[in-house]
Amino acid sequence: MGTASAFAQEPGAEKALESFTGPGANPHWNSVGPYVSEPQKAPLLLLTDRPVQLETPRHYFSTAFTPNDAFYVRWHLDGIPNNVDLQDWKLQIEGNVSKPLTFSLPDLMQKFKAVSVAAVNQCSGNSRSRLQPRVAGGQWGNGAMGNALWTGVRLRELLDAAGVKPGSLQVQFQGLETGTGPKGMGSSRFLKSLDLTNPVLDECVVAYLMNGEPLPLLNGFPVRLVVPGYFATYWMKCLTWIRVLDTADENFWMKPGYRIPNTPRGNTTPEEVKAGTVNMVPIARMPVRSFLISPDGSSKIPAGMTVRLRGITFSGYGRVTHVEISDDGGKHWSAARLGEDHGAYSFRTWEAAWTAKSPGKYTLAVRAMDEKSNTQPDEPVWNPGGYLWNRIETQELIAGVAA
Amino acid sequence: MKPEIRVKARVPIFFCTFCLVAVLTGAGLYADLQRGRYQAATLGQFSQAAPTAGVPDSQYGGAAYPLYPPHLEAGEGQAEVEGYCSMCHSTRYITMQPPLPAPAWEAEVTKMKKTFGATIPDAAASRIIQYLQAHYTPETRKQ
Repeated sequence: MGTASAFAQEPGAEKALESFTGPGANPHWNSVGPYVSEPQKAPLLLLTDRPVQLETPRHYFSTAFTPNDAFYVRWHLDGIPNNVDLQDWKLQIEGNVSKPLTFSLPDLMQKFKAVSVAAVNQCSGNSRSRLQPRVAGGQWGNGAMGNALWTGVRLRELLDAAGVKPGSLQVQFQGLETGTGPKGMGSSRFLKSLDLTNPVLDECVVAYLMNGEPLPLLNGFPVRLVVPGYFATYWMKCLTWIRVLDTADENFWMKPGYRIPNTPRGNTTPEEVKAGTVNMVPIARMPVRSFLISPDGSSKIPAGMTVRLRGITFSGYGRVTHVEISDDGGKHWSAARLGEDHGAYSFRTWEAAWTAKSPGKYTLAVRAMDEKSNTQPDEPVWNPGGYLWNRIETQELIAGVAA
Repeated sequence: MKPEIRVKARVPIFFCTFCLVAVLTGAGLYADLQRGRYQAATLGQFSQAAPTAGVPDSQYGGAAYPLYPPHLEAGEGQAEVEGYCSMCHSTRYITMQPPLPAPAWEAEVTKMKKTFGATIPDAAASRIIQYLQAHYTPETRKQ
């Protein structure tokens, strides 16, 4: 007991979580790193310090909106801005456009209508530490995700103001992140692009508010791109250049980076990868997921006591319509009650009452279905990038003798 | 057995509670009842952040990002790892990984050189690969 507790690693805890690196799957909800303190952040779980990668502890997901100071952090290159001077900073719309434009932060706030969207930002590699065999990369548990109310300017309005020229193919995003590698290589710049024909561009927001506050620098101050339903790799932090391209972007972070097999669930095998038979395509929307947040297994529950199971669910394909729970390893399922609907791409809370009828070990499972009838399977997924994990989550709970 | 408590209106409640506990403990019903158990702990592993120094200028942010150097296994090639790998990223990128098979470590170092352009001389790259394979594979890694 105690190993799954959100605070088990704090000084004075009865027993700190033991290091676990594998080669088996990480059995814990979160990754196993220590808590660390970073600027503008609550203590979060350390993956790496340079560049900064921090995971959000489980207990922060008991609400639909993730606090800014607890929101996970993932940078690719070590040249992360330590500060931004808003007198110098300008968002630039350039490339294959009729009229290149620059906007200061007040321009964005005053010249355009402010729009808000609640949307989940999830790292492509969230839960990578579950994969078997393990793959290299950030060894996230489940906490490389968060939900916020993002407020800003529609990307489409900015593109229309600059005038996308005919013959354009993609729009590329670049932030203030830089690396020490040679020019033109992925170690020098982090760049992401979306096709101009992609309907998600109409939903994209260049956000200057996160849950009604300025973004923490580590989450992309002063503005970041919000791509509702899509994995976070496209949500450029400290967005500064919006560049219209007339050729396909083939920089490292588009190819071969962040690619998934063009197969059901993005599933493949190491053998197929070695054989070179897998067709890889850019990662896009997030598959449906659901999580039990509490109880988290850190405490015993007296048999006969009815407790409240609580969690969150989301899908990159639209609203989640059903969440179901099982306490017998998936033989029987019953419906959970969904919480307030904050929009198609937001976390939605769920809850259900549950009673352990007698003392013993219970395996609780939770699964969700979205409005496109996508469901969570009970089979693992494997691909070389360690992306798209959405297997049904389980949690062992122990019921004790009550009298 | 449920001891009955009758409290007259003006009798302080804490006094009666004290009597009840004393009676029950004496009767052996709470023989397991322990006083709090404590042990020494270390303060300051991380601290509360100080409030932002409030200068109303156009600069936002300003703090350095902290480094948390990991424990690297001691061995041949460690100096090359600390030198060359740290050009672009901290060595936590090594210790964070799961145990990777020997060919996977070779592929990682090759990727750093060829795909990311890390200027690592071939001799040093070989020593880095040997070090990673000696300490960070499923066969060799200590948790």
